[in-house]
Amino acid sequence: MLFMEFSRYCEQLEGISGRLEMIDTVSRVLPSLTDEELPIFVRFIMGRVFPDWSPLKLGIGPNLLYDAVAYVAGARKGAVREAINTLGDVGLAVEGLLATKEQQSFFIEELDLVEVYRDFERMAVAGGHRSQRGKLLVARKLFGNARPLEGRYLARLMLEELRIGMGEGNVRDAIAKAFGVDVALVEHAHQAAGDLGEVALVARKGPDALQEVEIEVFRPVKMMLAQQGTIAERIEEYGDVAVEYKYDGSRFQFHRKGDECRIYSRRLEDVTVGLPDIARHLMAATDRDIILDGEAIAVKDGRPMPFQYVIRRFRRKHQVDAMMEEIMLVPRVFDILYLDGETLIDRPLSERRRILEEVLADHVAPQVRTHDAAAAEEIYARALDQGHEGVMVKVLESRYLPGIRGRQWVKVKPGVDTLDLAVIGAEWGEGRRTGVFGSFLLACRDEAGRLLPVGKVATGLSDEMLAEVHALLKDLVIAGSGKEVTFEPQVVFEVGYAEIQTSPNYSSGYALRFPRFVRLRVDKGVDEVETLDGIRDRYARQKNGAGSSP
Amino acid sequence: MLKATIDAEIFRESIDAIAALVTECRLHTEEDMLVTRAVDTANVAMVSLELKSTAFDAYSATAGELGLDIAKMKNILGMMGRGDALTLNLLDEERKLELAFKGYKYSITLLDASTIRKDPSPPTIELPGKAVISGSALNNAIKAAAVISDKIALGIDPDAMTFYMEAEGDTDHIKLALGEDELVALNPVGARSLFSLDYLKDMGKVMAKADEVEVNLGVDHPVKFAFDIADGNGRVEYLLAPRIEAD
Repeated sequence: MLFMEFSRYCEQLEGISGRLEMIDTVSRVLPSLTDEELPIFVRFIMGRVFPDWSPLKLGIGPNLLYDAVAYVAGARKGAVREAINTLGDVGLAVEGLLATKEQQSFFIEELDLVEVYRDFERMAVAGGHRSQRGKLLVARKLFGNARPLEGRYLARLMLEELRIGMGEGNVRDAIAKAFGVDVALVEHAHQAAGDLGEVALVARKGPDALQEVEIEVFRPVKMMLAQQGTIAERIEEYGDVAVEYKYDGSRFQFHRKGDECRIYSRRLEDVTVGLPDIARHLMAATDRDIILDGEAIAVKDGRPMPFQYVIRRFRRKHQVDAMMEEIMLVPRVFDILYLDGETLIDRPLSERRRILEEVLADHVAPQVRTHDAAAAEEIYARALDQGHEGVMVKVLESRYLPGIRGRQWVKVKPGVDTLDLAVIGAEWGEGRRTGVFGSFLLACRDEAGRLLPVGKVATGLSDEMLAEVHALLKDLVIAGSGKEVTFEPQVVFEVGYAEIQTSPNYSSGYALRFPRFVRLRVDKGVDEVETLDGIRDRYARQKNGAGSSP
Repeated sequence: MLKATIDAEIFRESIDAIAALVTECRLHTEEDMLVTRAVDTANVAMVSLELKSTAFDAYSATAGELGLDIAKMKNILGMMGRGDALTLNLLDEERKLELAFKGYKYSITLLDASTIRKDPSPPTIELPGKAVISGSALNNAIKAAAVISDKIALGIDPDAMTFYMEAEGDTDHIKLALGEDELVALNPVGARSLFSLDYLKDMGKVMAKADEVEVNLGVDHPVKFAFDIADGNGRVEYLLAPRIEAD
């Protein structure tokens, strides 16, 4: 398939608003693709380049992209920024620049879908001190051969945001329809394999092949997530529930095969090097081939230490030993996904828990089963008393749903008036804050994955934190005018607030009253920020009665 | 097969000429010369280079093709001085090129030529205007223009009998016109085209060392620069596509 054809499909999908029609359109393309093209097409159409579990990352910042486009179009970098500012979209800006480019070229080589993917691979593996230069050369070659429409989708793919509204759910349904298999089977395979591109290939072989897809060790699985809720609600709805402490640590996934082990963060990054103590603890607790889900917590004198101590270790690559003396981490394991070749995620929690207790000699997080709300509240009080964040309430029959924030797992925390929001813009600081960003524009995510602003935060950041945040954000600036800058969304803040209000000032329709910075969530990606639905829900539940529908 | 000895400075000059545009290329070995032709990643600039066997102190080769990491070669050659004898020895089976000089022996792994872009075929174009100018004067003009702009117009004014370069910045303007006295030769056919200084700056550094550069021009057409290297035993041609301003 030529990349031009792919671009035309994207353009077509961008113009369709109905979910069913989108699914139908994609399902008619899939069978015509070769085995090599199929997984690439499936990932590209979702705006992804590599499988989520893959250690390959494109690592292209907006600045590098602008450099490449400016070079190819014979425009200044400033002109590229200006075009993006005006149009509000990198893809459309690149398209326009390529359509009106001054710089002539001797010829154009047709871009092929698979070749484009190979070039992305080349960018991802370009390492060392010449890595940026290597990536830039490949980007120039791609844009140098791109027609304007191809430029639109190349640019968006490089930033892994295609903006055509094809999410995982739609693609899953399109695969099922294309190859005449049950959606549930596609979903099962997706949960185990973690990559719809590969699942599409398996689907082509038929339903039996999908059924047989198993989790593989050293290929991390997305973690199951929890909604906010209350103890009473859960017990009323489900009766018996499992109650566990909610630790103020960092989520990890432990994989072991033979004498080898790896540890992955919730963003599926390999963090084994930074966590030798966790590895040692768990290697000693079992000798089975296994995948475990748990939380790493920092302990000092028997009491848990705050989250930032843990996260420092997760980000650590050098001088781990010195760091380890300072912060000791211990694992608290609460789930098992795989044992000796068998995928366990389709079994109920109660059964997974039984297996976990059987095979793991130590470090299993305590769990209490109860249908008594008062008893559960007592555990909750004890959790807070011991310095934990709260409790997790889990439905006993719940299957392990990778990447899903379902109703079957609920987190209960006191005064949980914090939100995880994407940092999409900032204003340069003044006075003491000169030279760093001083206030930050924050956004939630709507159903289509768009980021919508919900307010600004400027308080709660220490000078050190401002410097750290500036270092993280300075290379993500994609546009600027006057004191304001726009970022490529990559950084997530957790912010506190007094109240959610309706607001005509922000396109989300809501604003935060008295927002304050709580912490940097380097363990979270922008695809995990609070949803507009979530904010709507919080607004409606506010106790002061202000929460009538906007 | 390739086994040859050459003054390191001459070989470095050749590699620098290629490195101005690409980081890797296919080098063809022929019985009486080394030849390469490459295009930059954006298909905007081409280089072709010939280095005759007469440029070498010793040369023996059969027809073949090897993939060269030009950026790496440039770094290695940067350590050698004028007058150092450099011996090139192609180890076919190991797909390595051995560079020996002053007791050092570098063994460089060749790139798989099939992964490098194929030799571009040069476009057939008529460039009627011609001026011959010293390389250092050309490079100085390019550097002067780069101070105020990112593009430069190159042209020939047949009435004034001049070859000129002109650049327009946001606020500033620069023009340099050279008459017949200051040129080695001029074919006074009206010509003017606009070029990106991004590319010209890198080419200019290489051309600065040439006594004479032949510049071929048309109207809104590519420019061709041709000059000798290795004391006339080699020749380089650069071809650069123009920028055409929207009205």
